[in-house]
Amino acid sequence: MSSFDFSGKVALVTGAARGLGFAIARALHEAGASVALNDRTAAGVEAALARLGGGPRLRAAPADLALAEGPAHAVAQGEAAFGRLDILVNNAAVNIERPIETTDDEHWDLHLDVDLRAPFFAAQAALPLLRASRGSIVNIASELGLHAVACNVAYVTAKHGLLALTRALAVELAPAGIRVNAVCPGAMDTELMADCAEASGDPAAYYQAFETYHPMGRLADPAEVAAFVLAVASPAASFVTGAALAVDGGSTAGRG
Amino acid sequence: MQDFRGKRVLVTGSARGIGLAAARLFLERGATLLLHGPTADALAPALAELAPAQGLAADLADRGQCRRLAFEAGELDVLVNAAGIYEERPIEAVDAAYWEKTLAVNLTAPWILSASLLPGLRRRKGVIVNIASDAALLGYPGCSVYGASKGGLVGLTRALAVELAPTVRAICICPGPVDTEMMRASIARSPDPAAARQQWADNTLLGRVAAPREIAEAIVFAASPAASFATGSVWTLDGGVTAGKRG
Repeated sequence: MSSFDFSGKVALVTGAARGLGFAIARALHEAGASVALNDRTAAGVEAALARLGGGPRLRAAPADLALAEGPAHAVAQGEAAFGRLDILVNNAAVNIERPIETTDDEHWDLHLDVDLRAPFFAAQAALPLLRASRGSIVNIASELGLHAVACNVAYVTAKHGLLALTRALAVELAPAGIRVNAVCPGAMDTELMADCAEASGDPAAYYQAFETYHPMGRLADPAEVAAFVLAVASPAASFVTGAALAVDGGSTAGRG
Repeated sequence: MQDFRGKRVLVTGSARGIGLAAARLFLERGATLLLHGPTADALAPALAELAPAQGLAADLADRGQCRRLAFEAGELDVLVNAAGIYEERPIEAVDAAYWEKTLAVNLTAPWILSASLLPGLRRRKGVIVNIASDAALLGYPGCSVYGASKGGLVGLTRALAVELAPTVRAICICPGPVDTEMMRASIARSPDPAAARQQWADNTLLGRVAAPREIAEAIVFAASPAASFATGSVWTLDGGVTAGKRG
């Protein structure tokens, strides 16, 4: 149960078919919000809607955010469904680990486009609605927006860029009463993590390494990160803007 | 500790501004210097001044030209990514072309040059110095895209540092306001240039903008053995802008 009441509020969550995005969409919906779910494929979004039980406060906004017109398309579908927008959650991301030597143009572009360009153009497309609602944007960055690891150059670059983007949007939109914040999760037990584990060639070792990665000694549950995202989007955070908020089990705080 | 004799140094964006100031210091300290500018014409004055430096023209918005530049530069000890573009735009006025060009020059070009030049940098235990901005660390109205590109450059520097250690060092320098053609153009575009000029100075604790040479000194230090324990570093040289506001 969420301790926040989002009744009458409308949210758009990108990358909501699974993982953290799905957890955020579910938490917002449980807290009373109407939620437009974006993901890359209509089928993925429909499956997520079905898992949430459907109903009048859930709508699909499928769009491929790797495409230049994708973010505006997602926002337009959310607007068509609910006629307003209070909360934009830029959650969709690509994270494929790769050493510098094999990071080619396609890999670089995919990360920069989905993880950095799409949040900007989603925010831009949502601005008329957010100005009307004096709403809020939550960008899901990463602890890798605050520091780096090896074999993830495109993702680390994009997430650092997203934090700088968050600060600039926050400053520019503050006079309009629009708050813009970034949440920086550590490693979460999501499908994305499972993809990375699978791609590593030794999933068991991959997961084992993460047992000691955070000082707290475990992976994050997407639901606990989602709960924090709701707090940031809620009036409880009414004086918070331009912040990069780590939810990382102490990962960026120091070395254990 | 700042003797660059026998060291091959490429400074992008060295036709003017911070890049030119850094190029002057590298040459003074004995480097084999490679200058870069957007066109041969733009580069001509710097080339004339800084003989016997070699000049390489390339439009860094074009990936093919970035790769050609890397090829022509050959093996390097020091790569300084100083080329950058800056133009304020409100969020609503940003279009795809502005986004792509800003990201291409300020972020993707440093990446392509770093990656393309990596074999030589590894062999020579080289250094990559990226010039970002205080806008990587602080938000400014009209600077969302520029800020995103420079914030990304901080991340790129850290990612390079982590993955290339201990062989190649990577350092990011974040200048505040510097008296360059880039800043003067921004001032000239503003509705009240005198006020804009004052605003740049007033943002700093020191109450003035930097001379390019003040940033160049840090670039040369970063590239030198005197900074041998510095990697992944993010150095603000901003007159105190990021430290706080003037009382």
